[in-house]
Amino acid sequence: MMAAMRLRFCGVAVLSLLVVMRPCTAAEAEADPLWAYKPVVRPALDAADARSPIDQLIERALPEGLEPAAAADRATLLRRASFDLTGLPPSPAETAAFLSDPRPDAEAFAAVVERLLASPHYGERMAQHWLDVVRYADSSGLANDYHRGSAWRYRDYVVRAFNRDTPFDRFLVEQIAGDELEPGSPEGIVATGFLRMGPWELTGMEVAEVARQRFLDDVTNSVGETFLAHSLQCARCHDHMFDPVPTRDYYSMQAVFATTQLAERKAAFLPEESTRGFERLRLLTSRREAYQQTLRELDAVLLENAVTWYAEHGLPDARWRQLVEEVSARQNAGIFEAVRRRIGKEAKEGEYPPKLVGFTTEQFGLERVARKGLQRLAFEEEASKPFALAVYDGPTPDVKSINAPVRVPETLSQDADLPQTHVLVGGDPFAAGEPVEPGVLSVLGDLLETPVPREMRGRRLALARWIADPRNPLTTRTIANRIWMWHFGRGIAANPNNFGETGGRPTHPAVLDELASQLVESGWSLKSLHREIMATEAYRRAAEHPRPEVLRECDPEGSSYAVFAPRRLSAEELRDAMLAVSGELNREVGGLPCYPEINREVALQPRQVMGTFAAAWTPDPLPEDRHRRTLYACRLRGLADPFAEVFNTPPSDFSCERRSSSNVTPQVFALFNSLRAAKRALACADRCLRETASDEEAIRRCLQLAYGREASDSEVQRLLTHWQQVEAGLPEQAEAWEPWPTSVERQAVEENTGDLFRFTEVLPAAEGFVSDLQPADAERHTRALADICLAIFNSNEFVYVY
Amino acid sequence: MSTEGRSSAGRRQQGQPIRRRDALYGLGASLGSVAFTAMMASDLARGAEADAAATGADAPPAGPLAPRPQQLPAKAQRCIFLMMEGGPSHIDTFDPKPKLEQLHLEEFVRSGRDKSAMESGKRYFVQSPFRFRKAGESGADMAENWEHLAGVADELCFYRGCQVESVNHPTAMYQMNCGNRFGGDPAIGAWTTYGLGTVNQNLPGFVVLPAVSYPQGGAANWGNGFLPVHYQGTPLRPTGSPILDLEPPPGVSREQQRQTLDLLHELNQAHAARHPQHGELQARMANYELAFRMQMEVPAVLDLAGETADTLAAYGVGTEPTDGFGRKCLLARKLLEEGVRFVQLYHGSWDSHDYIARAHGQLVRAVDQPIAALIADLRLRGLLDSTLVVWCGEFGRSPDNGVRGGTAYGRDHNAKAMTIWLAGGGVNAGHTIGATDETGGEAVETVHHVRDLHVTLLRLLGLDDSRLTYYHAGRFKQLSQFGGEVIGELLA
Repeated sequence: MMAAMRLRFCGVAVLSLLVVMRPCTAAEAEADPLWAYKPVVRPALDAADARSPIDQLIERALPEGLEPAAAADRATLLRRASFDLTGLPPSPAETAAFLSDPRPDAEAFAAVVERLLASPHYGERMAQHWLDVVRYADSSGLANDYHRGSAWRYRDYVVRAFNRDTPFDRFLVEQIAGDELEPGSPEGIVATGFLRMGPWELTGMEVAEVARQRFLDDVTNSVGETFLAHSLQCARCHDHMFDPVPTRDYYSMQAVFATTQLAERKAAFLPEESTRGFERLRLLTSRREAYQQTLRELDAVLLENAVTWYAEHGLPDARWRQLVEEVSARQNAGIFEAVRRRIGKEAKEGEYPPKLVGFTTEQFGLERVARKGLQRLAFEEEASKPFALAVYDGPTPDVKSINAPVRVPETLSQDADLPQTHVLVGGDPFAAGEPVEPGVLSVLGDLLETPVPREMRGRRLALARWIADPRNPLTTRTIANRIWMWHFGRGIAANPNNFGETGGRPTHPAVLDELASQLVESGWSLKSLHREIMATEAYRRAAEHPRPEVLRECDPEGSSYAVFAPRRLSAEELRDAMLAVSGELNREVGGLPCYPEINREVALQPRQVMGTFAAAWTPDPLPEDRHRRTLYACRLRGLADPFAEVFNTPPSDFSCERRSSSNVTPQVFALFNSLRAAKRALACADRCLRETASDEEAIRRCLQLAYGREASDSEVQRLLTHWQQVEAGLPEQAEAWEPWPTSVERQAVEENTGDLFRFTEVLPAAEGFVSDLQPADAERHTRALADICLAIFNSNEFVYVY
Repeated sequence: MSTEGRSSAGRRQQGQPIRRRDALYGLGASLGSVAFTAMMASDLARGAEADAAATGADAPPAGPLAPRPQQLPAKAQRCIFLMMEGGPSHIDTFDPKPKLEQLHLEEFVRSGRDKSAMESGKRYFVQSPFRFRKAGESGADMAENWEHLAGVADELCFYRGCQVESVNHPTAMYQMNCGNRFGGDPAIGAWTTYGLGTVNQNLPGFVVLPAVSYPQGGAANWGNGFLPVHYQGTPLRPTGSPILDLEPPPGVSREQQRQTLDLLHELNQAHAARHPQHGELQARMANYELAFRMQMEVPAVLDLAGETADTLAAYGVGTEPTDGFGRKCLLARKLLEEGVRFVQLYHGSWDSHDYIARAHGQLVRAVDQPIAALIADLRLRGLLDSTLVVWCGEFGRSPDNGVRGGTAYGRDHNAKAMTIWLAGGGVNAGHTIGATDETGGEAVETVHHVRDLHVTLLRLLGLDDSRLTYYHAGRFKQLSQFGGEVIGELLA
């Protein structure tokens, strides 16, 4: 394999641990599968050319005969920049200010970019991108899908880091090794949440070593994809077929994490973290009390059934009764099981009552729901505790299953036997091959100045520093490529998680290297990179080309940047923009996950998790909590918001390098028929009427808010006519919408008996629920305008950014 | 142009005018992500048809869900997949183990690498509480409580050699449905509709009839994964609106909706005139009209009122405990008749760790009659020969159990043995293929990883796993993950 590799790769010889590199020429870079490993070379530019280096390079690459499109008009550009940098539409005041700015276009626009970069919503928008890559979720997925109560602290850390413009090299080191970088710093501990983002659990059904190996594989691959644009998982079983990543390298990198253990670590809340709304968690307390009460009642049933059992079997029950008395004196719950355990040490099986003796189907079900419910709550209750989803360094603990949040062991021996990592033959955790030491990818191994230590501590920090080395061409190109894609909708290299041979080659390698060089030069400032990119003519171009037939012929792939490619709003932008336009959006930054209203069928749908049902999705009682930005909506792996799903929010099981943007019929149902669209439309109508003095002004206001432009007179006339038509057909008084239920009847097949089992789940959050504006509370005139607002939310002009 | 979804041959065609067509299709044209594979040699030819269709000429439907020819000759055109979620016990249904009667309550010791799994106290061999008999002329092994299924035993091909890799429900479910244990990959129904398209362009090609509660792993069990979202399974919910938001909120009349749609159309037309180069706009506008039609047509399709009283009774509709699954089986038949390509039905949970006699007994009672009626009905209507029927769970169950107080026998999870049966077109009906060891702990004959089952199911539907690929995240992906082989013994 190694010999074959050496033959294949132009310009690079890969020896076991020795890499020899020479820079490729520009032509080679185009054809070269190993372009990404070559040192970043800043392209030579014409010093006399006053335009930005990026524009010069894009022009050089323009196909013969293709002219770039003209600049976009100011209103279009503002909407584009606002969504790009904050995920929100510009306000009418912002639009007016930019349109009337007397400065030249470039200068006025630069001021807009500065304003947007300084907005706290900039960090939210960038975090949304980043969380796609790292697979953020507020639950663990798989069989239990336990809440990750404190995951939101990592999410907010990411928002803060972008807002502060934390240098990217620092940002990455913190996420991989924040705890080792500054031991004891809560921020550093919270940042390592990155390493915990994959779905993971350890159930009693599986082999612990296999689950551990799953974590190691996951984290190794995740670091590779996120920071190095390298999917490493193929190298788990065999030398990478396409990339210079031998299996040995894979396990060396994995050995870095051999001392990394998962725990919810103590990390005091920082003043900049939002602890608002912790009182909402009292709803969890009421659920806890209800479960405990159920278990006490069922315990009493079991104690009675036990006596019956003895009678039915004609066995003496004196010893049982005596033990019940003893145990009851010490505890008021779980008495039956405690007595059974004690008597089981004295008597033979069959001579004392079986578990859950004499239960009915319903009682089996209730017991399971309450017992597992308590376990599940413990994870949810982490949300307001000063603990963080994190890691620590130490030996792998001997546990068979995890059913409660894990704490760092009190005594942590740093000189316990160090784990020895081996190459695993075929990726099988029981097939240890050749031993390996912690290390990095040998293809770029010469950047590693001091070897990765063998000790418990410090392995991750060494790896992170190698990744953050400004000379590491994978790192700088990876993040530069992502930022570019977040503006243009496509990467310079088409697969931002995969710079290997199977990923798309860069269309503009020189632009990528220019960006990577600028990034390092600016001290790894991402905001500087945004400034550079957004100042280019390429970014400011219109979406329409003066000669579309020439464009089609010269640039069938749409990769020349001769025009700006329009895009559909993402699911999050769509929801947030509707809330912003309707005036309902709560712009508060950070804090506990919130629970917006989702389709009731889905919210209340019984959802099986290991051995029980997960609790229903109950929306927050207060509108201001429900109407926070989508970034803050609780993200459960086992329960996707159908609206988000249908508008292409990716599931958080795999890293998403780029959102897809499909166009399917269920989107119509979600945006045109759904209750939530109707609510936003009604609130928008109400707002437009409240803020204006005439119907005509209300319509003008609506278009300003939604489209960021002035309505034409003919549009206003058309909409006024429609308004009247609809209003004539509406009843004076509208029927009220059904309120959220305060409890829900559950039924499912009980696994013990196969019988249908029913129980009532109380939904505490539905108490005191404050509804959004309802048709029943709105005048007919407002309801008719809402119909127009609904059409506007569904219109292409609203849904696309140009 | 998306970088995804190029087939191995399509990859070389990079730059071919695919986008032009994408923009024109009715049912959900996906921006740039729909590049059908070179498996369809007529792909580019169909592009011309699509253009014709878009200009209003009579032409076959085109687009991501347009019906496409099989890659390989096969009888089955469509599939009903009966997913018995939770892990039905092969030992208590179709794979009798008399040896367990001798070993009953003898201690069982798990050894080797799996020692730490399910390790909670002593474990014992447990005999089946069900009696077995031979059913049909083929003499298929069946527990006696399969009273109705025995009547169609000769239509079934039992397979005892399949093994999976996970003992946890969601990961095993994902593997059985999507090939990948960790979810996120397309389900077999998504792959099938990707390969074959679907007949009725006004209905989804892949429909799922879930149980009242969703299975572990949730909707990802019928996800489209990295395939375009058209191939996602559409769950028809057993309660409430069958499709989410199919109807507008209460108080909105059809007339009002029509007016709003007309207004929307005008707004969009004016906008499109300002953006003539943005091809996606037309497709998005067309979706609104299709949705309006679906809104009116779907409820009729789901209505069982047109079925005769005899048919309803045969499926067990209207009587317990068969009503729920009977309705699903009957609806599945209707959907196939309406031209849906792939219907997956869920029933569960078969996760009987305790009291297996009661739990499995009750589960079998709920599905036995409806499934038998479905097979007989398909046969009667001449559809069985062109339909593939699959019955399976995500894994089998263990011959042993932990201490459950001496009476509450159940079984735990078993990834190494299970029973699957197939019926319908191209299936080796009337045979039992493969075998497990004397306790049912592990498959020992004609043993295949589940990837080979997937290759076989695709083969039965006329699809070639190695050619039914999609370019994603740097490689060509397929249902079997890295390729597999057809289990020839399962084919007629």
